[in-house]
Amino acid sequence: MIGAEAMSVIRYRPRGAREQATAWIGMVIFLGSWAMMFAALFFSYGMLRARLPVWPPPGTPPLPRLLPGINTLIIGLSSVAMQRGLSAARRAQAAAVLPAIAAGFLLGLAFLSLQFVLWTGLWRAGLRPEGGAYPSVFYGLTAIHAIHVAVGLGGLGWLLTRAFFHAFGPARNLGLRLWTGYWHFVGAVWLLMYLTVFLI
Amino acid sequence: MQAIPSEERAAQEELQPIHHEPKSFFFKYLWSLDHKMIGRQFLWAGLGFLLVGGLLAMMIRWQWAFPGKPVPVLGSIFLRSQGGAIGPATYMTIFTMHGLIMIFFAITPVLIGAFGNFLLPLQIGARDMAFPWLNALSFWTFALSLVFVILSLFGELGAAGAGWTTYPPLSTNVGTPGSGQTWMVAAVFVTGVSTIMGGINYVTTVIRHRAPGMTWMRLPLATWGLWLTAILNVLFVPVLGSAALLLLLDRLFGTQFFIAGATASVSGGGDPILFQHLFWIFGHPEVYILILPAWGIVSDLLSFFSRKPANWYRGTVYAMIAVSVLSAMVYGHHMFLTGFTPLLGQSFMLLTLIISVPAELLFLNWLRTVWQGSIRLTTPMLFSLGMLFVFGMGGLTGLYLGATATDIYLHDTMFVVGHFHLTMAAASFVASLAAIYFWFPKMFGRRMNETLGKVHFWITLVCLVTVFSGQLLAGYSGQSRRLYDPYQYTFLKHLLGVNRVASYAAFLLLFAQFIFIYNFIRSLIAGEKAESNPWQVSTLEWFTASPPPYHNYDRIPTVLRGPHEFADPEVRRRLGRDFIGQAEELPEAMPPAVASAG
Amino acid sequence: MTLLLAPLPEKGIGLPHDASLHGWRIDALINETSVYVGLLFVIMVAWVVLACLRHGPRHEARFDHGTSTRSVAVGLCIAGAIFFVVDGPLFVNSLILARDVFGNFAKVEADPKSVRIEITAHQWAWVARYAGPDGKFNTPDDIVTFNDVVVPEGTPILFQLVSTDVIHSFNIPNMRAKIDAVPGMVNRVWFEAKETGEFDIACAQHCGLNHYKMKATLTVLPRPDWEKWAAEASANSARDYDPDDREAHWGWDWSEHARI
Repeated sequence: MIGAEAMSVIRYRPRGAREQATAWIGMVIFLGSWAMMFAALFFSYGMLRARLPVWPPPGTPPLPRLLPGINTLIIGLSSVAMQRGLSAARRAQAAAVLPAIAAGFLLGLAFLSLQFVLWTGLWRAGLRPEGGAYPSVFYGLTAIHAIHVAVGLGGLGWLLTRAFFHAFGPARNLGLRLWTGYWHFVGAVWLLMYLTVFLI
Repeated sequence: MQAIPSEERAAQEELQPIHHEPKSFFFKYLWSLDHKMIGRQFLWAGLGFLLVGGLLAMMIRWQWAFPGKPVPVLGSIFLRSQGGAIGPATYMTIFTMHGLIMIFFAITPVLIGAFGNFLLPLQIGARDMAFPWLNALSFWTFALSLVFVILSLFGELGAAGAGWTTYPPLSTNVGTPGSGQTWMVAAVFVTGVSTIMGGINYVTTVIRHRAPGMTWMRLPLATWGLWLTAILNVLFVPVLGSAALLLLLDRLFGTQFFIAGATASVSGGGDPILFQHLFWIFGHPEVYILILPAWGIVSDLLSFFSRKPANWYRGTVYAMIAVSVLSAMVYGHHMFLTGFTPLLGQSFMLLTLIISVPAELLFLNWLRTVWQGSIRLTTPMLFSLGMLFVFGMGGLTGLYLGATATDIYLHDTMFVVGHFHLTMAAASFVASLAAIYFWFPKMFGRRMNETLGKVHFWITLVCLVTVFSGQLLAGYSGQSRRLYDPYQYTFLKHLLGVNRVASYAAFLLLFAQFIFIYNFIRSLIAGEKAESNPWQVSTLEWFTASPPPYHNYDRIPTVLRGPHEFADPEVRRRLGRDFIGQAEELPEAMPPAVASAG
Repeated sequence: MTLLLAPLPEKGIGLPHDASLHGWRIDALINETSVYVGLLFVIMVAWVVLACLRHGPRHEARFDHGTSTRSVAVGLCIAGAIFFVVDGPLFVNSLILARDVFGNFAKVEADPKSVRIEITAHQWAWVARYAGPDGKFNTPDDIVTFNDVVVPEGTPILFQLVSTDVIHSFNIPNMRAKIDAVPGMVNRVWFEAKETGEFDIACAQHCGLNHYKMKATLTVLPRPDWEKWAAEASANSARDYDPDDREAHWGWDWSEHARI
């Protein structure tokens, strides 16, 4: 019957150590792929910037440094929280797992909210995508990154609900491990973006 | 040849559990987790779109043979509003869709989606892919991209028409406004996601799920080809993804990544050449992605049907690895005429000429494999030799295009088109057919008809060579690509003859494929039943039932030797035949009964 | 394969008639390479056919993995030999030709006789601008032509090209000259015609609906005739100059992009 089969496919299945290692390798390859995608985006940024004699082009509203700097801190703390959650699960400290994931989730939400503030502020100041390469790079790169943050938040939210229903433990933390790895990746990409798009 | 302790083997088998065999129609045929079923799903989709892409090619050939005349059959169905004839706007859509469909929706699903899925777990001795769920998801993501393709055909301002290379600014709203082009770019993005999912699965599976004793240097060359392809996919399809994403941003949100010239913002527009860099950093590895499985498969088949070990197995592996590593470093030869600095031109030329060396090595190994063999000209063998022929022709024509001086004249002419059709289309197509004829018994448990197969081969090969030689000759004579009516130009008026001959060959090629379709369908329904190892070859998949059971192998095999152990005199003495399976035990002494039979 | 086809100009299959001073170098390189390529291909096919005939099902296969040092060395040597003999000349000649001929803009810029033309490509026509007697572009004495490039024989002709909309490619097969016209960039190409006559200029990069008829004509005149044409055309231009027609004033400063 389709229902029973569906349940058997979906239901959480404990995974042995070997299978966990396989999943981690798959994750690493996935992150490699995504790293190539972002590398191509940074390459694009570099090439567009190298062509223009002055960057930012004269007349464009300057990009703030404080707000995105704060956001860098926020997403960094969010990664720390997730890593803490993972360590707690590995060391069988079940009680510490849920608050850690919740902190990671909320900080991630804060990141997205502040990005939104950043965008609307610059939009009102007159920075529009049609304005040329400079605003295209800014909006394009940060928006693509934000989509990846949103997907990560979806994962963290799912982990949060799982943490409510059954504790993550030393032998049951594969999902937590994988999403934490993804979350660190997204944070690292942001760091690079902050340095290259906002600071230099 | 150490014996693997039985506890370890038992542990291996325990660690290779298999998801439950499905009972319901939904989980058996629609959301299947079984790599063999998913492989078949990709095969049907790929073959279907191969036919569509082929019909589009026929329309291009018709236009060049009989410019402006109504197209028979297809014209009365699809071109009614234009009196059955192809106009310039339709023509742009036809060549654009032909390229995109053939590359992303025909060859990729057949060679990589179908054969990759079907073969990899079987050839390495595993029960399934590392991530069966991801596998099912990769097929349905692919199916979603097909929906986008179909949606793109109904845009108000016409379907995609900027060529498969989708160069901006032509592919932005400046050159091709409307939802048709947008849906097509989105379709390419989504199919890229599907390919990456598949790539992650293939790479991980070969790393983690090889049977005991299946060392890297005992893998069938088909596995090597598919695995290297998956690595290239994982690394470079994301670059295409970023190009497609930025183009979508330009089209949908008014950004200016690729817009320059009169429509660019005064503060500094984007760079159309940026797209070419991104596209070809993907695009050149892509051509190797499409050919590596073919190289691997043909390397194995040539050995199998020469009844002789593949010549210098390691050399072939190293050559394929070298090509993979170099693949992204040569991409600039597509951009020789964009006006980039001469230093870049020289560097890309040097690397492009260097990448021909591993390919030459592959050829030498193939030629030396068949020499001194015991060649059986079965249908798969004929197609494999055919692959040598067309790839040899195509590869050699690449030399002219890799050198900057000769490329000045030949760039953007039909010579380029002839080159990539021989190396990419003909070679992959012929290798796919070799693969289908070869693995049909394993996939479906029945044999295809050999005589029909041979007739299909000869007509197909002669026609392929004729059509694509016609392209080479037209390009050599100066015909540019993508011309609705080449005869507008004084210097091309006389090429109607060449083009017509090539077109007739193309039409014959199309009709010849019906021999294959008939053979395929008839064999599916009423073909002679196949035993496990009808071709008498050595790789693991031929030592389980045809078709394999759901769990592939009752016991995970323990591999004892490489995949091409043919013509071994020891084996002939002890087993009385010219091959031995990769996991087959070689008896210590000859049984007395065999001794007397000799 | 290409050996057997005589390059009859525009009647049979073959390279179009070469009316340029240096085009023969490209043709020679193509034809020399064809000798090797043809030979390699014939050897390969003969090898396979012989193998099928002599080492067929009745022949006993040899148990050889091809891993002996000698076997490997032979393979590598053959591959290396092909690389040096076939690829080598292609590489070296391309470098020399790029430096000394087709990419040698310094030399032609320095030549006082050379004619300079600015080309704007747009969907779907080629517009050419000559500097006129004052030697400066975007002045009233400029000659502007549509789909009509008129040049003198026996003189280097230098082009700088832009595109206003999409990528086009400026292609003169009979002069073996080709270069992309990319929006946002100024590209350049040069050639020297060695005969008079009319030749096709074609667009070689897909640029939209009428790409197939984005055609122009190259007219090569004897030098004195060309100078007469130029003087007349320039005088007409100066007379008809309309200072308010902004769109017609699209020329740019040549030296900014001469990049020597």
